Amino acid sequence: MAYAYLFKYIIIGDTGVGKSCLLLQFTDKRFQPVHDLTIGVEFGARMITIDGKQIKLQIWDTAGQEAFRSITRSYYRGAAGALLVYDITRRETFNHLTTWLEDARQHSNSNMVIMLIGNKSDLDARREVKKEEGEVFAREHGLVFMETSAKLATNVEDAFINTAKEIYEKIQEGVFDITNEANGIKIGPQHSPNNPSLPAGPQGSSQGGGCC
Amino acid sequence: MTFLEWRKFNFFDINSNVDKGNIKSALDDAQVRSMSSGNGQLVLGDSQGSIHLISRDFTVHTYKAYNIDVTHLIQSRHSSKLISIGNDEVGINPLIKVWDLSKPDRHDNPTCIRISRSVPQNRAVVVTCLAVCESSNLMAVGHQDGSIIVFRGEIGRDKGSKQKVLKDGNQPITGLAFRTQDKKTYLFVATLSNVQVYSIQAQDMKLYLTEKSFGGCTKRCSIMTESNDTQFVIAQDKAIYSLTIEGKGPCFVVDGTKEFLQCFRSHLVIVANDTASNIPHVRPGHVPGGHTVTVLDINNKFIVYSAMQAPVVGAVAEWGSLFLLSKDYNLHQLNEKDLQSKLSLLFKKNLYDIAIKIAKSNHYDKERLVDIFGQYGDHLYAKGDHYGAIKQYIKTIGRLEPSYVIRKFQDSQHIEKLTEYLAALHKAGSGLGQTTLLVEHTTLLLNCYTKLNHIDQLKHFLMTKDSEVDFDVNVAIKVCRQSSSEAALQLAEKHGKHAWYLKIQIEDHARYLEALQYIGKLPFSEAENSIKVYGKPLLDHIPHETCEFLKKLCTDYKPSNTPLPDLNHDTVERAQPDDFIHFFLDHSLVLVEFLEHIINYPSREKCSTQVYNTLIEHYLCLWSTTSDTTARETYVQKVMRLLSSDGIPYDKNQALLLCHSHKFSPGLLLIYKERKLYDLILSENISRKDYAGVLSCCRAYGSQNPILWQTAFHKLIKDPDVPGHYLSEVLHVIEKDKLVSPLFMLDALSTSSSVNVGLLRNYFLNVLGADSKATETEVSLAEKDTKDTEKLKSLVQQIQSKPVIFQGSRCSVCNETLELPSVHFLCQHSFHKHCFQSFSESDKECPACLPRNKDILDIIQSQEPNKTLNEDFHRELVKEGDPFGVVAKYLGLGIFNKLTLVTNGNPKRKIQSSQSPSTSKPQVKPLPSISKPANTNPFEEYDESKNPFGSSDNAYDESLNPFS
Repeated sequence: MAYAYLFKYIIIGDTGVGKSCLLLQFTDKRFQPVHDLTIGVEFGARMITIDGKQIKLQIWDTAGQEAFRSITRSYYRGAAGALLVYDITRRETFNHLTTWLEDARQHSNSNMVIMLIGNKSDLDARREVKKEEGEVFAREHGLVFMETSAKLATNVEDAFINTAKEIYEKIQEGVFDITNEANGIKIGPQHSPNNPSLPAGPQGSSQGGGCC
Repeated sequence: MTFLEWRKFNFFDINSNVDKGNIKSALDDAQVRSMSSGNGQLVLGDSQGSIHLISRDFTVHTYKAYNIDVTHLIQSRHSSKLISIGNDEVGINPLIKVWDLSKPDRHDNPTCIRISRSVPQNRAVVVTCLAVCESSNLMAVGHQDGSIIVFRGEIGRDKGSKQKVLKDGNQPITGLAFRTQDKKTYLFVATLSNVQVYSIQAQDMKLYLTEKSFGGCTKRCSIMTESNDTQFVIAQDKAIYSLTIEGKGPCFVVDGTKEFLQCFRSHLVIVANDTASNIPHVRPGHVPGGHTVTVLDINNKFIVYSAMQAPVVGAVAEWGSLFLLSKDYNLHQLNEKDLQSKLSLLFKKNLYDIAIKIAKSNHYDKERLVDIFGQYGDHLYAKGDHYGAIKQYIKTIGRLEPSYVIRKFQDSQHIEKLTEYLAALHKAGSGLGQTTLLVEHTTLLLNCYTKLNHIDQLKHFLMTKDSEVDFDVNVAIKVCRQSSSEAALQLAEKHGKHAWYLKIQIEDHARYLEALQYIGKLPFSEAENSIKVYGKPLLDHIPHETCEFLKKLCTDYKPSNTPLPDLNHDTVERAQPDDFIHFFLDHSLVLVEFLEHIINYPSREKCSTQVYNTLIEHYLCLWSTTSDTTARETYVQKVMRLLSSDGIPYDKNQALLLCHSHKFSPGLLLIYKERKLYDLILSENISRKDYAGVLSCCRAYGSQNPILWQTAFHKLIKDPDVPGHYLSEVLHVIEKDKLVSPLFMLDALSTSSSVNVGLLRNYFLNVLGADSKATETEVSLAEKDTKDTEKLKSLVQQIQSKPVIFQGSRCSVCNETLELPSVHFLCQHSFHKHCFQSFSESDKECPACLPRNKDILDIIQSQEPNKTLNEDFHRELVKEGDPFGVVAKYLGLGIFNKLTLVTNGNPKRKIQSSQSPSTSKPQVKPLPSISKPANTNPFEEYDESKNPFGSSDNAYDESLNPFS
C-alpha cells in the first residue's frame, strides 16, 4: 500500500508486561488473554494518518526474556521509535526500566523517540506503581509517558500515534536524517520528490534509493 | 533453552526407506551434490556428473550430464526444464546447462537445450548458489568471490540472453533468491556477513540495493518461503531471521547450528546439527551425530514436527510430502497428517485455540470451524472460564443453536456474558434467517440489558439499527417499557409505532400534551384511530387541547407536520363526531363546545341524530347543573332553538326523555305540542302549578279535545293551591259544553278537600237551572203531543164513522181543474186519472201522501219483531265504536220491549187496496177505507211514549242514562 513514510518501531520491556498484547490491540484491535511467550521478535504493521499523510508503522515486538536480549538488541538499530513498557501491577518491571533505557540508548540512534508506557491500567486494584512515579521517571529521562490498557484498548492508539506524531515533527524539524535508513524512517514510494514539507537538503540524494 | 521453544506437536508421519534402496543402487558410489524437485519428480545430482530423475513410483532414471560433477540443480516447478550447474572439465570451469526433460534424445536421455558459462569478470570462480525466476526470465548465479551474474532472457535459449555482473564485497555468496512483488522483482543476496536486497528493473536490468542487513548465513541456510507474505529466511546459530523487501522482519529463536533450510508449504524445515548440549536427555530415536529435523509452522508459530534423524543431506518437497534424503541415501517421506487427525490431536490436549488457528490457516470450511468454536466454548465453560467460553460461542452464531448457549448461561451470575452473546447474535442478526433469531432472543437480550442496568447499551442497541430492524420492534418496546420507558418511547417514535408511543406516553408518563401533539402529526386515519383509543384519558387531563384537536379532526384535519396544505386535497377526510362523544363523559362543557363547533362548521355535511341528541342532553345537563341564571337562560334558548328548528334530525322521543329526566318544561311542552300530546302538556303544567298555562292549554286545544277540560278540572280540583278564578273558568267551560255530569262534579266536590261549595255554587245553579228548564220544555212538548194524538184519534174516528166528501176541485198533481175520470183518496187528495196513472208508482196509494206514509210505515215495520234483530244487535255492538249508541238505537227499536204489535192481516188490506184504485168510475168507487180495520192505521196504534224518537228533540237527560 502506498505510504508517505514508513516508521519502524520497537516495543521493549520486561517479559509479561503486555508488549505483544499492545501490538495485537493496535494492529488487529483484539485482545488475547492467553498469549504465548514471544520467542524472538514478532512483527506487525498498520497504516495511520498524520497531518493528512499516510504513514506505515512497522512494529517489532521483541521478546522480553533476558535470554533473547542479544537477539532483540539487534533490532534497536533501525528503529525510529520505541515503546518502553512496564506493568503497573509489577514493580520490578518498573525498576528494570533503567536497564532497558540504557540498552536502548546504547544500541539505537540518539534521535529515537521513546515513549514510556505503563500498561494494564485496567487492573487498578492491583496497582503497584503509581501513575505519578511513571510521570516522574518519564520527565527525568525525557520520555513521553502514558498509561494504557491493552485489554480495554485505552490509550493504545494514542500511544502509537503520539509517538508517530513526535517522529513526524522531528522529521519536519529536520532532526532525523531520513536518507539514513538506520534511523528507522523510510520515504514511501508515493512521496512526491518536490514535497514542500520535506527538508530541502537531503532530498535529492535520497530519492535514488527510496523511489524506484 | 528448550523451555523457550514454541509449542511442539507431531503432525507428521515418517515413512522410512520409501524408495526401497533404488536411489542407493542408482548412485552407486557417488555422492549426492545437489537436489531439487518439481514437475512431478525428484532430481539428484551426484559427484560423478550424473543426474538422477526419480519418479513417483521411485524408479530412478539416470543420465550423464557432466563429466565431473553436478553441483547445483533447479528443477522448474511446472515445466520440464531442469537447470543444472556442473563441471565438465577439471579445474574451475562451471557450466550452466538447461535440459528439457520432455524431449528425450536417442538414448532416452533429456536433451540439453542450452549451455552457458558462468564466468564473471573473465575469471572462473566456484559457483556457490543458483536462483531462477521463471516468471521474469531471470537467473542468478552466485560465486565464491562475491560476484553475482544475473542472466536475463528466456532460460531455455542461449541467444538473446543478457548478463550482468554484480559485485559487492569479497564474501562468498551463500544464498540467492528472487522475489516478485507488485510487478517488481527483487533479488535477495545472502553472504556470510549480511543480506542484501536488490531491486531489478527488467528493462535495463539495473540493480539497486534497497536493503542491507546485519548478519548473514552459511550456504544453504537461506530460503524463500512460500507463505503468503513471502519472506526470505536465513538461519543463524541462535535464531532464524526473516527479511522482507522492506527490511527486517520477525525472528524466531531456534537454537542449534543449522545445516540447511527447506520450505514445505507454509512450513519451514530446519535441519540442524544435533548438538548434545541442546538435549537434556536422550530422546527416543536418538542417533549420535545425527541431525535434528524441525518443521516450523511460521504462521501459527509452533513446531509441527521435530525428530532426531540420521544425518540428512537433502530435503525436497514433492507430491504433497516432504522427502528427506539421509546420508546413507535412504529416502524418508514425511507425510503431514490430515487436518482432522491434527485437530483431534489438539482437541485431546484441549488446545482449541491452536486448533482454530490451524483450521483457519487451512481454509477449513465454516461449518466445521464452528464446531471447533463450540467445542472450545464447551471446554472453557467446563473450565469455568465463562467469559472466554462466551467469546467462542459468539463465533458459533449462525450454526450452533442459540438456545444451547443460552441454556448454559441461564444463571443470573452469567447474565453479562449472556448479554454479550445475545448482542452478538443480534448483530449477526438479519443474515441468519428466521429460525435462528427468535423474538424470544430479543426479549431476553433486552431483559438482560435492563437487569444489568445497561441503559446506554440498550439505547444504543435499539437506536443504532437504522436500516434493518433485526428485532421485533413490538417485543422490544414491550420489554423496554418495563425498564426504561424513555427508551421504549424513542423506539416507538422511531419505528412509527404510534399505538405504543401513545400508550407509553399516556399510560406511563402521563404526558398528555406530548401525546396529543404526537397524534396531531399523524396522518388522518391513524390520528383518528389513535384518538379513538386514547381520547378518554386525554380529555380527562387536557380537555381543551383535546377538544380543539377533535374539532380539527372532525372538520378540516391536516397533520401538523405537513407545513403546506395540500391544495389538491379536495376530499377532506373528516371524522364522525359520534365516535368521540363518549369521551366527553363528565365533560359536558367541553362537549358542548365541541359539538357546537361541529354543528356550526359551515361546509360540513349533516351531523347524525346522535350528535344532536347528545348536544341536547348536555345542554340540559349543563342547564340543570349551573346555578347562574343567565347561563341557564342561554342554555334554555339553545335547547329551544334546537328543538324547534326544523330539519335537525334529533330523535324526538329521546329529546322528550331527556327533557323529562332533566325536568326541562319548555322543551317538554314544545315537544308535547308538536306531538299533540295535549293532556301531557296539561299535566306538565299542572305539575308545575302553572295554572295559567293549564288554562291557556285548555283554551287552545280544548275545542279539539274537550277531555282536556275534564282532566284539568279533575286535576285542579284536587289541588288546594289553585286560584279560584282558574277553577271557575274551567267550571264555566265544563258547564258550557256540558263536559262533566253534575254527579261527577258532586263526587269531585266530595273528594276534594280544598274546593268549597261556594266555588261550585254557580255551576250547580246553572246546571240545575238548565235541567229544570229542560224539564219544563219536555213537559210542554208532551202535552202538545197528547193533544195531537187526540186530534188524530178523532180524525180517525171521523173517517171511520162519517162519510167523506171529496170536494177537491183540482188535481193534486197538475193543479188543473179536476175532470173525470178522477181518482180520490181519503186523504182528500184527488187526481186526474191520467195524472195519477202517470205520476203514481202504485195505484193503491196517494202519491202525495206516499212519502210521509212510507216513513211512518217504515217505523212501524221496523218495530216489528225481527228474528235477526238480536243477531244484528250483537254484531253491531261488537263492531261499533260507540256501544252506547248502538244500545240506545236498539232500545229505540224495541228490542228490549215486549212490543205487542197487532198485525192486521196484510192480505186483506191488499185486497182492499187493489180494489180502491180499480174504481175506474168515480162516485161508485167503493171506499176501501171503510173495510179497513182500525188497527191497520199506522197512527192508530202508535204510542208516543213508546217511541224513542218522539222526544228526540228533548235534551237528553244524562242522569236518566243507566249506562253512564
